[in-house]
Amino acid sequence: MDLRLAATKITKRYGRTTVLDGVDLRVHAGEVLAIIGANGCGKSTLLRICAGLASPDSGHVRVHGALGYCPQQGGTAEFLTPDEHFVLVGAGRGESRGRARSAGRAAAAGLDWAGAGAAGISRHLSGGTRQKLNLVLAGLGEPDVLLLDEPYQGFDNGSYLDFWQQVWRWRAAGKAVVVVTHLLSELSRADTVLDLTPRSVR
Amino acid sequence: MKTLTVAEMAVREISRRRGVLILLALLPLAFYFSRRDEAYWQSVRFVCLGIGWTLSTAALFAGNAARGMEPRLRLSGYATHQLYLGRLMALWAVGLALATPYFLLMRFDLDNLRYGAVALILVVTVAVAAPFGLALSALLPRELEGMLVLLTVVAMQMMLNPDGTAARLLPFWFSREIGQYAIEHDAGPEHVERGLAHAAVTLAVFFAVLAVSAGVRLRRRSHLATV
Repeated sequence: MDLRLAATKITKRYGRTTVLDGVDLRVHAGEVLAIIGANGCGKSTLLRICAGLASPDSGHVRVHGALGYCPQQGGTAEFLTPDEHFVLVGAGRGESRGRARSAGRAAAAGLDWAGAGAAGISRHLSGGTRQKLNLVLAGLGEPDVLLLDEPYQGFDNGSYLDFWQQVWRWRAAGKAVVVVTHLLSELSRADTVLDLTPRSVR
Repeated sequence: MKTLTVAEMAVREISRRRGVLILLALLPLAFYFSRRDEAYWQSVRFVCLGIGWTLSTAALFAGNAARGMEPRLRLSGYATHQLYLGRLMALWAVGLALATPYFLLMRFDLDNLRYGAVALILVVTVAVAAPFGLALSALLPRELEGMLVLLTVVAMQMMLNPDGTAARLLPFWFSREIGQYAIEHDAGPEHVERGLAHAAVTLAVFFAVLAVSAGVRLRRRSHLATV
């Protein structure tokens, strides 16, 4: 399988606290990797470093292809509708308005959210629905590598299962998917697991 | 094209903050009528300061609201300059829409003004206020801090002796210079030249702050190589 994402010897410190100490990560096309670990162990930080949104103190990241990123919070504009989000993000990927809208609506329907095209501004969406929007935006434009930071917060059980169906569809399409999670019961859904919990507390 | 898409969405976002927009649109009116009867010549300058404050505030909030979305848009293929230029274009459009009724108000409510100069002050105020608010949002990401700075700047602009050096360092000093030409018929065009020169330098400074801060915040990190 083709290597899509390689993070090598990533070290990150906040003051005197080292949250990531020489972490390596490899994800191939058609592979799902789950990042687990205790609160504050650097899961989100590692994802942000892989996305190029934060700098490590040392180490480097190599990405083959386009990146899609779903942050744990934020990532949407409160006063825009889902359709406008699709157009805005799609334009960045070079997609026409119509194509971006239809792709966004179809992806939303796959997450049991059929009414995305008729929904109002995102500040009036529930937390779970807004997170679905966040996830749909990460996948717009068919990026090769998807970085998902606990994207299912606020999902009901059905949507949660739909989320994993979507992850497997991405895997089947040859995409590399990284999911930050704290749900240890779901590790069987991933191909590879990276545990960031420090050895001293395991 | 991408810049225009950002501008369009920014206009949509701003136009949906209706309650805030109404309050902001009425604030220059309060400034105007505060001096309308006893010193109408000051009301011209005050309405410009009101619009400057209003638009800077709108820009401050728009800049802060965009922070959560911009990293995602960078990853989606936008260049940094497309993001801040698009937002700036949107704010300029909103500012001109805000300033037009005030120009008409002064055109029909006040006599014996050089109306072309009045229009010029309004346009230049809009041009400077938008990057001022965006630059502030880049330097002071907390809205309360930014608001306090805006309040301080406008209050000082009103209170300081406009002939003093300190007043010239404030961003809306040009409104006094061009305003003098608009109101006093014996004032020469050198006032307009000084005012425009001040506005050009101010605009360049704010634009540079905006471009550099956005460039740093949304830069491609050196540890990441995309093949």
